[in-house]
Amino acid sequence: MTVELETANNHGGGEAVTALELLQREKECGSITTFSSQLDRALKGGLPVGKVTEICGAPGVGKTQLCLQLSVDVQVPLSFGGLEGQVIFMDTEGSFVLQRVGDVAAAVVRHFSLVAEDGEQKDAMQTFDMESILSNIFLVRCHDYVELLAELHLLPDFLRDQPRVRLLVIDSVAFPFRQQLDDLSLRTRLLQGLAQQLVSIATRHNIAVVITNQMTTRLQDSQSHLVPALGEIWGHASTTRILLQWEGSRQVAAIVKSPCCMDTAVQYHITSEGFRDVNQPENSDQPEIPLTERRSL
Amino acid sequence: MVPLQEGMCPGLDGDLLRSLLAADIRTVEDLVSSDLEDVSRKCSVSYKALFSIRRVLLAQHTAFPVSGADLYEELLSSTAIISTGNPSLDKLLDSGLYTGEITELSGGPGSGKSQVCFGVAVHVSLQLKQSVIYVDTTGGLTASRLLEMLQSETSDGDEQMEALQRIHVFRLFDAYSLRDCLSALRRGGLLQASGGGSVKAVIVDSVSAVISPLLGGKQNEGMSLMIQAAVALKTMAKDFSVAVLVTNHVTRGGGGGVQPGLGASWSHIPRTRILLERVDRAPSGCSSTLRSATLIKSSRQPCHIKEEFDLQRQSRSVRSSSGKRKRDEADS
Repeated sequence: MTVELETANNHGGGEAVTALELLQREKECGSITTFSSQLDRALKGGLPVGKVTEICGAPGVGKTQLCLQLSVDVQVPLSFGGLEGQVIFMDTEGSFVLQRVGDVAAAVVRHFSLVAEDGEQKDAMQTFDMESILSNIFLVRCHDYVELLAELHLLPDFLRDQPRVRLLVIDSVAFPFRQQLDDLSLRTRLLQGLAQQLVSIATRHNIAVVITNQMTTRLQDSQSHLVPALGEIWGHASTTRILLQWEGSRQVAAIVKSPCCMDTAVQYHITSEGFRDVNQPENSDQPEIPLTERRSL
Repeated sequence: MVPLQEGMCPGLDGDLLRSLLAADIRTVEDLVSSDLEDVSRKCSVSYKALFSIRRVLLAQHTAFPVSGADLYEELLSSTAIISTGNPSLDKLLDSGLYTGEITELSGGPGSGKSQVCFGVAVHVSLQLKQSVIYVDTTGGLTASRLLEMLQSETSDGDEQMEALQRIHVFRLFDAYSLRDCLSALRRGGLLQASGGGSVKAVIVDSVSAVISPLLGGKQNEGMSLMIQAAVALKTMAKDFSVAVLVTNHVTRGGGGGVQPGLGASWSHIPRTRILLERVDRAPSGCSSTLRSATLIKSSRQPCHIKEEFDLQRQSRSVRSSSGKRKRDEADS
């Protein structure tokens, strides 16, 4: 009795690939640089394309800044090793500030025009300027969780028409679900469905999905800890989890969950140019914004 | 209650299935216990066709009595114990994963379930040279990590590539696809999927990611899909003599302790259950690769025995003389 595996293939594209083919596909996918070389090294190249990454942190630690940085970094031309892709930015908190994106974009353009070497790279710089960067960002403003879920439902059709999208940012996924949902079991179910949708979009359309999450306090043994919000089960949604936190006066990015990288912590800071390493030599002549005057998110 | 599905047996095609459903015959039991003349008149199908379908379905779904001695002989000849590649886990599992059974790994986020699954896949594919079917529902399967683990076991590039080719990955993201894929595999697609190689392990990472969104609330489908997937896994394990490994999430119980998810109904499905946890010895700033595994359900070992292991050094093989191997040395 022969059974066709097509029945499995037709339902949701569940085809069997060998791990060797997956390896080749992963090598082709690439990753998105964060512009912090230490964080890129810890992540083995940058944020992986085709996977869901979660960025958690307390307010003001730099989650949206990192998202804005990634939105510009994904557009770096192919000749510089970038992905030359577009980005869909789903904003639920209203934290997308156009001027700030302009600053980050200008800094990235400046950086690459200084390092452009051969003809191909110089040609690429002709079309890689602030206007083109801003025009490749699709901004979606969602006011509540219903709008967010609806947008995600419509996303596959949009992605079919726009095959150049390589990054999807949802900033933040916690805000609409914490404000408006009182029924916790419904919230958990919706979040799990959302998680599976995101994984499916990331894999099928070869997109890096970045979601930001807030922090909440958990009481355990009469001690309180700061843990990522949205519950234990949400922790399973993302493949990689990066925790941004303050350690005294330093800002530290810790990788707390990853399938291929060890748990490491690197230091970073936010400058007027964006998300950067601490003591990066290239920026030593650029003025850094002191921590007290840092722009709040 | 086995629902009638297309392709269950020759002759049961889409049109016949639809006319049977219209006559309110949904399950195998309904068809087998109905009056075939009546049905053939209602659905305008030949009596002979229905009779042969009924005979095949009876043969497929009837349980034939077997004597204990025969059962024991069969067990001895068909059961194999597959090492997980991790000596601490093997100790908990009474030397490894048993074929014909479902073993469950549960744990919170970042507790190492996927890493253990990778370790098992790499061990079976490299050391035992058998095929592995890996069903990934979370998107967590990273082939570069599999390659890293292979590189730490052998430095022969060809062997690594061959081992990677023996791991067959299905990527599904919803419960219906999971059930359909498992049913197709169980009905004989196992050999097809592995391209002819003999499959010794089927890993599903994770079952809870696709099933739990459908449980609870006013939904009816979740339980049914969960049990259908479970039945497919169990029969696959028994019929094809493979070891099935599934992963599950954890929920917080009443007393603040963690327990595996998916509820009481699922808890009867796996024969052996292990709970993985992070071990926080150092202050919370330091990262640790230590994990602890607790046996919470087993028919062979006393429960609640605990073992600790290091995610970095999972494999049995010791390459350097000191026994400790730093990860950056292993990267080539």
